[in-house]
Amino acid sequence: MTLTPLDELLLFSGVTVLVAMLLGRRLPAGWMVTILYGIQLLALMKMAPLGYGGEAISSALTFKVMGQTLSWRFDALSWYFALITLGSALLSSWYACGEWEQRFRQSGGNLWLFHFAMTLNVFSMLILLASGDLLSLFIGWELVSWAGFLLMAMAGGVATKAAMRYITYAMAGAMAIFGGIALVYVSAGSLQYEAILTAASQMSTAHLWMLVILFGAGFGIKMGLMPFHLWQAPAYAETPGPGSAFLGAISSRMGLFAILLVLVKLFGIVNIDSLKIPFTLIDARDLLAWIAVFTIIFPTFTAMKQNDARQLLAWHGIGQGGYMLLGLVVADAMGAAGGLLHVFNHATYQAALFMAVTAVIHRTGTADLNKLGGLVVRMPLTFMVLLVGIIGLAGLPPMNGFVSKWLVYRSLLNEGMPLLFVAAVIGTLGTILSVYKLIHNIFLGQLRVEHDKVKEAPWSMMIPMLILAAIIFITGLLPGIPLAWVASVQQAVGLPVPDYTLGGVESASGSLDMIWVIGVLFAGFGIGALIFYFAGGRSKRVHQLDNYAGGHFLTADVRYQYSDNFYAGLMHLIGGWYRGSFLWLEQSVKSLVEFLSLGMQGLYRRANAEFYLLSTALFVIAWVVI
Amino acid sequence: MMAPMELIIELILMPLVAFVVGMMMVLMMRRIAAKLQRRIGPPFFQPLYDIVKLHSKQTQISHGLIHDIGIVMAMGGYIAAETLLPVPGMTGIAEKGGIITLLYLMMIPSLGLALGVGQCANPNGSIGIARALTAMLAYDIPLVIVIFGVAYAAGTTNLVDIIAVQQAGGFETWGAVQMPVLAIAGLIAMHASLGKQPFEIYIAPAEIATGPMVEMSGKYLGGLFVMQCFQLYTTSVLYVSLFLGGGTTWFDFLLKSFLVLAIPVSIAYLFPRYRTEDLLRLMWKWPVMLGLIGVAFVL
Amino acid sequence: MSSIKQIPVITERKGNPLARVFDEFVRFCRSRSLFILHYCTGCGAIELPPAMTSRFDMERLGIQPMVSPRQADILLITGYVSIKTLKRVILTYEQMGSPKYVIGICSCTVNGGMYWQSYATAKKLDEYMPVDLYIAGCMPRPEAVLAGLQKLMDRIHSGEANSWEDYFRNYDYYLGNQQKLFGENWQTPTDIITEAKHYDLIGEGTLGKHTQLLEQHQKPLEALDMRLGHDLKEPTE
Repeated sequence: MTLTPLDELLLFSGVTVLVAMLLGRRLPAGWMVTILYGIQLLALMKMAPLGYGGEAISSALTFKVMGQTLSWRFDALSWYFALITLGSALLSSWYACGEWEQRFRQSGGNLWLFHFAMTLNVFSMLILLASGDLLSLFIGWELVSWAGFLLMAMAGGVATKAAMRYITYAMAGAMAIFGGIALVYVSAGSLQYEAILTAASQMSTAHLWMLVILFGAGFGIKMGLMPFHLWQAPAYAETPGPGSAFLGAISSRMGLFAILLVLVKLFGIVNIDSLKIPFTLIDARDLLAWIAVFTIIFPTFTAMKQNDARQLLAWHGIGQGGYMLLGLVVADAMGAAGGLLHVFNHATYQAALFMAVTAVIHRTGTADLNKLGGLVVRMPLTFMVLLVGIIGLAGLPPMNGFVSKWLVYRSLLNEGMPLLFVAAVIGTLGTILSVYKLIHNIFLGQLRVEHDKVKEAPWSMMIPMLILAAIIFITGLLPGIPLAWVASVQQAVGLPVPDYTLGGVESASGSLDMIWVIGVLFAGFGIGALIFYFAGGRSKRVHQLDNYAGGHFLTADVRYQYSDNFYAGLMHLIGGWYRGSFLWLEQSVKSLVEFLSLGMQGLYRRANAEFYLLSTALFVIAWVVI
Repeated sequence: MMAPMELIIELILMPLVAFVVGMMMVLMMRRIAAKLQRRIGPPFFQPLYDIVKLHSKQTQISHGLIHDIGIVMAMGGYIAAETLLPVPGMTGIAEKGGIITLLYLMMIPSLGLALGVGQCANPNGSIGIARALTAMLAYDIPLVIVIFGVAYAAGTTNLVDIIAVQQAGGFETWGAVQMPVLAIAGLIAMHASLGKQPFEIYIAPAEIATGPMVEMSGKYLGGLFVMQCFQLYTTSVLYVSLFLGGGTTWFDFLLKSFLVLAIPVSIAYLFPRYRTEDLLRLMWKWPVMLGLIGVAFVL
Repeated sequence: MSSIKQIPVITERKGNPLARVFDEFVRFCRSRSLFILHYCTGCGAIELPPAMTSRFDMERLGIQPMVSPRQADILLITGYVSIKTLKRVILTYEQMGSPKYVIGICSCTVNGGMYWQSYATAKKLDEYMPVDLYIAGCMPRPEAVLAGLQKLMDRIHSGEANSWEDYFRNYDYYLGNQQKLFGENWQTPTDIITEAKHYDLIGEGTLGKHTQLLEQHQKPLEALDMRLGHDLKEPTE
């Protein structure tokens, strides 16, 4: 048996888990794990032809369980997601090494568990990405769910509560997926992708509907699609810093990967398109698109109300997932490319943002947006990384988030979907508002007296952040680099491919060339700087208390900063629209389940054999009669 | 593909023209205000005097590097945006970006400014920025509906093509004639985007001491004056390109631009100021409704 | 002709004539674009609205009201200045960007006017800050205000209106008067001495015994410089 590159990758990944488990209590465990992630990334690079339209690579390992062949393979889709997974794992783990690790250990954190959970997450994700049939997909899915639970729950307290909520959702989703797989097995007779592909074209409408709902809900829960989004923000926000960077970057994209694999590749967008909802004008594809759009809007506006930086980012993570799904559901060349590209872009800026916020927590001890301010003079590099990150998150030039969102907008425009287009833009505008609040309340405004002696984040944390910032900018300048990978993914799942160039996209109906746009933008900044620095006189830096206050004398003991209820005017109007309907829904489902279980418990407690017998008999009779 | 030299000259000329025309638009705005209030108004070169004076201030304060960079971004973002906005005889790099890119580039100056104001550590400024962003949320929704409608009707996001489509059949193919409902919605959104009364919630001198400008002295304020010139120019020229067929000659181009700008400006000085939530309510109701009706006609 | 060296020689600015044209242009622009900050301390304020609005229309002279001291060129003090107000007036003046001009409107700013006997009123404004122009009267009519402003415009154009430099060059004198009124602990959040050093405006009277007194108890007002933290120096107490 010869080892294929895929086997090598999985082997290295397994070794990483073992190292973290056995040697994780030693001090340099973080560095060892980081180096091993680097080796995994190199192993992934050996499969780089996959990203440029190469042939799929399968694993030498296959099983036969109950007549089903279990196999693992890597194609362009898996490679693309694995690249993001390993990249974010490498950088988050690097970030965790050094000072953060020491502080974490001193404050009573379990470092061994952290490294172990991280490696396990990466390993299980790679297994999921490599799945070659529905059964191995399900196994990978379960592994990912439990590994994620481990990482989320490890901080204890609130985190465990959030993780419990997550695992409840995840198990419900797994049930739905399992049901879907059973249905597929019944109709196709096999769980191999090829068999399902042929079976899918002959399935009845009801059957397809069932599958779309089951798989959509199951995978959607992991992605945090509406209305299953409630678990995500608290769970990610409460994970220890680098962990939340990793989870925020890639974890919930596993749901998108599965949706791509099952709903797009196997069932095909065309089939979904033909599923009409009776008595309405919309079909299953529109339904998914609208779910995506609501997933953009509601979490984004919830994020705006958060007063904790990590919660704010985590809520945005949910919202950005909507753009990816939206692009994919539109499913023309540009839209699908935009959605897929956004996975990469989102991973880069979300990781950078979580890291920057963690660096602030590392130095100041809080992420409460009302207890910070003015840190730009003390942590300028972190400020820069956060700035680059929020420009990406808001989708503005010159960062990479702009390109993917531009592609999604263009596809909506081409397809003539005004309402979805407007809704997507509303999400972007909400994001701009919310991220300005983030950067303003942390880094701008008045520096608090207690933060006067704060230092910049240590280099061990700074370098991964700077690398991410550089990636965000470079892939914004040259979106052709990731677009090449995206194009081969699109080919692999059978979607049309846009006509991309190094600087953007060519199209008869309006193209985009980021090299020109960014070049002109920076030339403009250059001219602005020339005017500013040479046409005007000298200026003098003044203390922050030398400030206009209507003639009032400012002193250091009185705060002169605006941070709480930042968008007061907006909240006057829309504040009443936050009704917590989804929380209410969740609560009512929970109460229903509790009520039922209480009833069942009461039934069992009676320990009344005759009663059971009687009721069983009654059921059997009813079954037979009906 | 044009010669590189020609392109460079265009890239330099386009912002320069925008600045000069923008100063004249500022003058027009102040003259209209004066006429409505039965005053004489400022002399012809007043905008130039103001900008020169502000840049010649001998002492001025800075609250830090980001404060400086904010002003640079405010000016630079608009200088860049002008090259994406075709004018008669010059297209610059309009074909490389298109209207969505232009729309986003036009947000860069305000966000750069927002950063700069943030570092001033003055709550008046922060409140001003919070209100400005809220206003952006208010007027951008009808604006993108309008832009969607126009781009969909023209079948392209390329501004050069959108203008060419309108110029193809003379007056009858102008956007405003083809899509009058969208044109009205666009005019309201454009008025709000100028930040003039009744929508000047983020300047509000009597309330928050001119908001973002509160800590701006000398060349900092001068930079904002330059930005205002660009803003007036960009907004009105964008409207002319979307609805009034752009310009075939400089004469009709400038005439249209000034006339379009005169409409919101004349309305502005007759009104006091809305509250933030009333602005949102107004913007999300009427122009959005008109815009959606207009888009329904287009589809 | 005892000593030829005692005869003052007017030194013209050397260099190209274009620079002189440019300076002239800048001075002209300065005189034709004046942003006023009216510190309405007393009854004189009522004369400003007519001066601004349609009857007299200040804007045709390029004069318009501004809101914050940072933006303004002219500080208009329109009436008596109580001691409590004077603190704010001084802070406001110090926050303005130079070249800046002070106009005292009404008799009260000249000599206390009808408040001459008041214990709580600062009598002469020019003891506390350099005043470019007084417009006397109780109250002066808008015509007088405009005439005064035009006079100031002429002085700016000819380059005579540079009393703002006096505040930097003779800071000790003004600070002494301020300390006499407000006590020894008087300090504004602005830092005139470092500003004078920064812009090279130190004169013979900038530093003196009053500024020494100020430096003894002055709370540090250094700008918060951006720093990377790794070369963090220990704060000097």
